[in-house]
This record gives sequence, C-alpha cells and structure tokens, in this order.
Amino acid sequence: MPHVLLSIACHAYASAAIAYLAYLVRPWRLFPIAARFLVGSGLVLHAIALVTAFSGQGGMPQGILQGLSVLAFLLLSILLALEIRYRIPVMGALLTPIAVAILVPPLVIGGGTNSLPNAFPRPLLPLHISVALLGLAAFGVAAGVALMYLLMDRQMKGKHFGVLFSRLPSLRFLDELNRLLVVWGFVALSVTLITGAFFAGHGFFWAWDSKEIATVVAWGIFAALLTARFFAGWQGRRVAVLTMAGFCLLLISFFTSYNAEQYRGLFH
Amino acid sequence: MDLICLGVSHKTAPLSVRERLALSSQQQLELLTRIAGPESEALIVSTCNRVEFYLAGPASGVSRDTVLAEIAARGGDGTLSHLYEHRGEAALVHLFRVSSSLDSMVMGEAQILGQVKEAFEIAQQSGAVRGELIRICEAAFAAAKRVRTETAIGRAAISMASAAVELAIKIFGDLEGKTVLMVGAGEMAELSLRHLRAAGAANMVVTNRTFERADALARSVGATARPFEELSSLLVTADVVLCSVASPAPLLTKESLSMVLKARRHRPLFMVDLAVPRDIAPDVNELEGVYAYDTDDIQRVVADNSAVRSAEAAKAEVMIAEEIARFFRERALRDGIPVIARLRARAEQIAKAELERTFASLGDNLTEKQRQSIEAMAKAIINKLLHQPTTKLRETAPQQSDHRLAGAAAELFGLESEDPKR
Repeated sequence: MPHVLLSIACHAYASAAIAYLAYLVRPWRLFPIAARFLVGSGLVLHAIALVTAFSGQGGMPQGILQGLSVLAFLLLSILLALEIRYRIPVMGALLTPIAVAILVPPLVIGGGTNSLPNAFPRPLLPLHISVALLGLAAFGVAAGVALMYLLMDRQMKGKHFGVLFSRLPSLRFLDELNRLLVVWGFVALSVTLITGAFFAGHGFFWAWDSKEIATVVAWGIFAALLTARFFAGWQGRRVAVLTMAGFCLLLISFFTSYNAEQYRGLFH
Repeated sequence: MDLICLGVSHKTAPLSVRERLALSSQQQLELLTRIAGPESEALIVSTCNRVEFYLAGPASGVSRDTVLAEIAARGGDGTLSHLYEHRGEAALVHLFRVSSSLDSMVMGEAQILGQVKEAFEIAQQSGAVRGELIRICEAAFAAAKRVRTETAIGRAAISMASAAVELAIKIFGDLEGKTVLMVGAGEMAELSLRHLRAAGAANMVVTNRTFERADALARSVGATARPFEELSSLLVTADVVLCSVASPAPLLTKESLSMVLKARRHRPLFMVDLAVPRDIAPDVNELEGVYAYDTDDIQRVVADNSAVRSAEAAKAEVMIAEEIARFFRERALRDGIPVIARLRARAEQIAKAELERTFASLGDNLTEKQRQSIEAMAKAIINKLLHQPTTKLRETAPQQSDHRLAGAAAELFGLESEDPKR
C-alpha cells in the first residue's frame, strides 16, 4: 500500500517537473499552477505513505532508502511553500527533477525496511534523524537558490541574456532567500550535531568518522558564512559558492551516515 | 538659399569647449539682438551636447562674422578649430537631423526637439526669427515629429532607458529606497532619471563638473545636486550609477572602484555608461558584485536592437530627405504660384477680350447654346495651352531654389511688368 502511494506521488512529481520545465520554454501561467497542484497532491500521498511506513518502526525512517524518500518529501514541501509564497517557477523546474531523481531508488529498489544494525534504545534518534533530514532539505533548496544566483549573476555579467534571464527572480531576492534558508538550515544542522553527539543518552559522543568530520566542517562553513554575512556584509556570489560547497559536504555526511552493509544490502 | 549653420557638438568638441560656449536663455536673448539685423535672422541652439548658430537672410554673412568673433571671445582661439559650418541646403539638412535626434549622442532621444523648440521661442521673443527662418524651423519640427511617429527610433532611446531600469530591477528586485547617482548631465540623463524615478527610485543624486548644470538637471527631475569633488563618497552610497561625462579617458577605473567597493561592504552596484567614449573602464565589470554596462550592452538587452536601430535610422534619413524636398517644393510654390496664377489670369483676360470682340461682330445671330460652345472652346484652348507650362513650373520648382523656370515663364509671357516688386 505505501509503495503504491509513493509510486503515484512520484508520478505526480514527475508531471510537475515537466510542467515546470515547460514553463521555461513557454511562460504560460497555467503550467506553474498545474505544477503546484501536482506537487501538493503528491505530497499528501507521500505523507500518507511515510506515516504508514514509520508507524511500525518507532516513528522514524530507517535505512538510506527511507531517508531519501523523506529527503525528497521535505525538499518538495519547502519548495511548494516557497513557490506558493513567492511564485518562482524556475525553482520548481530546478528542484522537482532532482526530487524525482532522489525518489527513484526508494521506489525501484522497494520500500524494504533495513533495520539499524545495533538497535538499542536511543531516545533522541527520531528527533536527530528528522531534524538532520530537514536541515539537509533546507540546504538543498539553498544550494538550488545559490545555483540560480550564479546563473543569474553569470547572465548579468556576461550580458548574454538567455531564456532563463526573464524567468529568474532578481539577484537580491535570491540572496535574501539564500540567507533565510541558510539560517534555518544552520539551526537544524546545529540541533542535528547536538542530538547526534548526545543521542546515545550517556554523555558526549565523538568517533572521528567521516560523517562526523564532514558535518562539523559543513557546520563550520555555514557558521563562517553567516558570521561574514551578518558582520562583514558578505552577500552575492561568494555566499552562493560557499552555500553550494557546504551542501556538498552535507551530502557526503548524509551518504556516509548509512554504513556499508546497508549499501550492500540494497543490491542483494 | 542664404542659410548658414555654425556650431560645435559632441562630435567635434570636448565638453570643456562646449561648456565655455554654452549659453543661458538670457545670454541667448542678448546675443540674438546683436547678431540678428533687419537683413538677417538668427537662431541659437544651446544644449549640453551642442551649441549651434543658424543664420538666414541676405546679410547672414555679416552675422557670421559677429558669431565667429563671439565664439573666439568666449572659447578662446583654439575653439574655432572645433567649429563646423554648413551652408544652404546642407545647413537645412543639419537642422532637420538635429531636431529629429539623428545627430544626438543617443540617437532617438526625445529631449532635443524640445530644446530646439525652446531656442526657437527665445529667438521669436527677441524678434530674431521672422520670415524664412520661421518657415525653416516649422518644417524642421514637422520633420522631427514625422520621424518620431513614423519610425521606431524614439522607442529605441526610450527602450534603452527602460532596459536600464529592467536590468536594475533584475539586480535589486525593485528600486524602492535605492540611491541613483547621475554623473554628468548628458542628453540621456534626464530621460534615464525620469524612468528610474517612475520605477520607484526615490533617492536621486546628480553630480557634474559644472555644478550649475548638475543643479539645473537635478531641479528638473527632483534630484539633489552634489559637488563633483564628492564623487568617491557618492559612489559608496549609490546603488545605481549612471555616467554621461564627456571624458577622453575613463573616469572610473577598476582600481579606483575597488577602493570604493571595500567601503560599500559588498552591496551590488549597477553601473550604466551612457557616454561615448566610455566613462567606465570595461574591466570594472570583472569586480564582484559590480554590473557595468555601456550603451552597446544596454542596446543588446533590447532584442535585435542594433539592427532595428540602423534600419530605423535609415528610414528616418529617407524621411528627412523627403521633408527637405517638401520644404523646397512648398517654398518654390509659395514663390512660383503667383507666376502661374498671373499667367492664367493673363490668358483668361486675353480670351475674354477676344470673345467679347467676336460676339460683338457676330451680333445677335448666335443662339445661347452656340455662345456657350464658343466660350467653352476658348476655355479649352487656354487650359490645353497652359497645361504643359503650369505642370512644368510646379514640377521643376522644388529642384530650382532660384526658380529659374518661373522667372523665364514670367518673362516669356510678359508678366514682369505687372508686378514691379518682382
């Protein structure tokens, strides 16, 4: 049942992606409206699928496949909220295909539950995982916005005005949106780090694994970024580049947080 | 025709020279009374980018000497080397092109027509334009109006200003609360500032080497004028910078701007260079957060603009040629029609006399119908006989500014004696 719902949701997202991309070619107002509706409907089905799946496993996603599914869900939720609030179909055109791509592995390989290898009670784990995924999704959207900024900056600098030029929002808007998303992402990332360090329930935990190092380095980048932004007035291009760099580190952290057995388990 | 145009423009003289020659309305009035006389008319067009003297009438040569002396006195001896001079039809074409904004720094800008009209009003006030020059100016205004309405050349200039606004909006989202700095006071300045004001820019500052010019522009668009020495500090607070200073070397270089950028704390800066040669060095665009555009770049924003512009300019040139031809034709007809009318009157007079003689000799033997036929025949002979000379006179008049054919016709048909004034 959850799998069928997820499949329908994924199709809705894919259709939305097509509608958003069509808008880039032909700026008909109907395209983004249809896309928003499709994303919204997909999210409802997706939410039901996720709740159904999680109810039997302690209210949290287990394994990388469910992690990806939740990530896609959160990414699209943020997108839809921003799209409805600010009307930026270009962002939809950029992010919905990515969300669909993220959702393909959970859908194709199946919603099989890979239980955590050493599952002892960890009270903060559900919070840790959901906040981590939320932060990752926020940074994902921020990275998308940063990419849009760089594209727009490139057009403005190079004075070659392509199709995107008229569709992309202003540089200032993109920079503001980046700030907003990075601030919220940073809060989520900080919570993730704290809950991650303490989730075992018995004191500070640090194991020097690649996940932890990547996350802390990313946290450092975003902390420096926000400091520079608020105290030295940094904005624009350099902020966009750093946002994308920080997001890449977080992606590494995300993929390394699932151990090797789980990856092997995916294909057997 | 006795029309002389003497002047300097952005094409021949640097701003420093044009500034020395520029005349306020009061100075124009004063000078006009000196150069215009009973035998000569005068018009002075003085804008940021040109100072021109138009002289007409038999004594225009005398006025020309006065003007040259005045120019040398105001601008120094070197000024005369920047001067251009057009005579006769060339001067007429020049006035038409100037009024139509084909000679402007930014082709198609609408301000120049208003400026020429203003100059015309001043000359009218002082009585310096009376007959010929009034007709010439009116024809030039009509030509300019036609160029503006029938070609898209004006839209090209407007679209440049609005393209600049569009680009600014792509950077800043909106212009609410943004500071616009205008460096210089060129022909595009007012138009651009008005567009930016309409787009929401509330804070506008004008600076210029000649403070009075900055002040005048600032007052006309509701901006504030600041001394040129404050340029660096003005650049720190500005979000949009427009430059239209006639300067041989770039006013703003990458080095000078990178100093400013530090103080700006990375706020984006949109710069538009309206001047040719450029005021902003091209490599300024490489600085982070600086978007520097020159007129060519802005034109590229408007789709196919350069192609459209050159096509529109060509169309406008054809229109000017047509309007010049029309002016000459009307002028010739004005002078030529009395010849034709008198020719016809003379012929009708002869016919009437001959008819009366014929009817008298035939007595009452004619029926009413026969009388009418004879009258009709006389009329037909006149019409057929005069048809060719009349058309020829009307046709050739425009090409002959001295109306040689009209004169010949008058002589052949013995019309000269009837009007001793001609």
